Amino acid sequence: MGVSASGLAGLLLLALLAWPGDASAQAPVDKCAACHLETGDERLAAPAKAFDGDIHKAKGFGCVACHGGDARADGMEAMSPAKGFVGKPSRQQIVQFCGRCHADAAFMKRYNPSLRVDQVAEYATSVHGRRLRELGDPKVATCVSCHPAHNIRPPSDPKSSVYPVQVADTCGRCHGDAKYMASYKIPTDQLAQYKTSVHWKTMTAKGDLSAPTCNDCHGNHGAVPPGINWVGNVCGQCHSLTADLFKKSVHAKAFAEMGNPGCATCHENHGIQTPGDFMLGLGDKAVCSTCHTAEDKGGKTAVEMRALIESLSAETEKAGAILLRADHAGMEVSQAQFDLNGAKDALVKARNAVHSYMVAPVKQEVEAGLAISTKVYARGVRAMEELRFRRVWLGVFLVVILGLIAGLVLKIRETDRRPVAGSPPKH
Amino acid sequence: MAEHLLEPDSSRRGFVNWFLGLSGVAFFLSTVYPLTRYLVPPQVAESTAGTVTLSIKPEDVKANSGQIFKFGSRPAILVRTPAGELRAFSAICTHLNCTVQYRSDLSHIWCACHNGHYDLNGKNVEGPPPRPLDAYVVNARGNQIVVSKSA
Repeated sequence: MGVSASGLAGLLLLALLAWPGDASAQAPVDKCAACHLETGDERLAAPAKAFDGDIHKAKGFGCVACHGGDARADGMEAMSPAKGFVGKPSRQQIVQFCGRCHADAAFMKRYNPSLRVDQVAEYATSVHGRRLRELGDPKVATCVSCHPAHNIRPPSDPKSSVYPVQVADTCGRCHGDAKYMASYKIPTDQLAQYKTSVHWKTMTAKGDLSAPTCNDCHGNHGAVPPGINWVGNVCGQCHSLTADLFKKSVHAKAFAEMGNPGCATCHENHGIQTPGDFMLGLGDKAVCSTCHTAEDKGGKTAVEMRALIESLSAETEKAGAILLRADHAGMEVSQAQFDLNGAKDALVKARNAVHSYMVAPVKQEVEAGLAISTKVYARGVRAMEELRFRRVWLGVFLVVILGLIAGLVLKIRETDRRPVAGSPPKH
Repeated sequence: MAEHLLEPDSSRRGFVNWFLGLSGVAFFLSTVYPLTRYLVPPQVAESTAGTVTLSIKPEDVKANSGQIFKFGSRPAILVRTPAGELRAFSAICTHLNCTVQYRSDLSHIWCACHNGHYDLNGKNVEGPPPRPLDAYVVNARGNQIVVSKSA
């Protein structure tokens, strides 16, 4: 296939414009896909097939935008290095390869003004980026490990590998593979643990996509394990009040000195379960008993806090139960049910106040809640007494009415049988 | 002859007795059934009330303020935005069911239990709440404010 010198210069110019260029400068004819699909080699055809769902294609980019070359030329000429063809980048090249566009704020604004352009800089701070740069580690994740090349979709696309529900499996492809991770000597049960957690359940069973997944605690492009001292800050992004109490508590300093990872010391890291009162105190499942005993001050505090919370929990439940019985029996108790919300609020606040690890704040909330639940329970008792009164007196009334009816019937019969004066005797 | 004459009288009396008996049974059942229904009422989980009328003059609700009111047996919150618009939402925090409140200093809705924040559209904007508050429809009618679950 003969190409004149001026034609070649023109094509070169076109390739330079297109790479990493403007979608509008793309060649209208894309022979790359046609040729790759015709080869019959699945290895070559797969990228062309997958590219139909790629966000870059939707934005008007073709193969040459990343790989260079000439999409209008035939055969091997399209892949001539003279036309800027770079082919498949090496693992070390990938980040810079994607970064040519994605780190260029002026360029990215033309397609998605709100998209961040610091991914390359962030990646350099990640464990993945550092190992790649410093050790040339060939197994670490790069852009395409999480955003599969030729099928890159935005995080808002449910089919995307970085859609919130998919993120854990995307990270877990490497981090859940014990064989692949063997040389790093780190646990590989994070994915399995995470999938038992309250966060995963919230995301999948309740459909709350704001529930945290891997990248919310570890970062995404700058992924690192949170430092021992800043686990509380990470959890505190959502659980701010609890984190504030913890920071001011005796445990913040003690955990840091012991090398314990803040919140994760009691709540685990990946397999965070729904917390409950059973965690408090010195019982079988209580986390306090890991360090404390019945003799030390911490153990006594834990037991006292547990007793306070259980008392309010029991009183609130008792009041709720009697109101429910009264409600089902037809009594009007909506105001009492409304007021009981105050006791439920106090119980939630008391459970949160546990993170101060002091009895006084817990006691303050519990006493406020007990005052409400006691009053509400008394109203429930009154409602049930009123119900009993109405039923008993309804019964009495019915007995009287039925007795009256029976008496009237007997009276009528007696009157009928009595001979009327002047009437002929019956035969 | 006399027996023959008595026959119609006997059948009429039988009919009257049968009729009275039937009426008595009907009377008994019509008394016992509602009585039983009263003594063993059907289970009603919650109030199905879809509308509540508040005896509050709309002009008495100041801008940048909010107040809790009773919607059935559940709490709801009436808010007058700084721009002067009346809005109402369920006051039950979507995190752990605490009752939310209006924070004039923040000009939005806040839950004291775990520091959850909601904007003036009821949307969860900060903290652990996983989803927005349920929004109600508010109408000012003379000296009353009518809040409904839907339009």
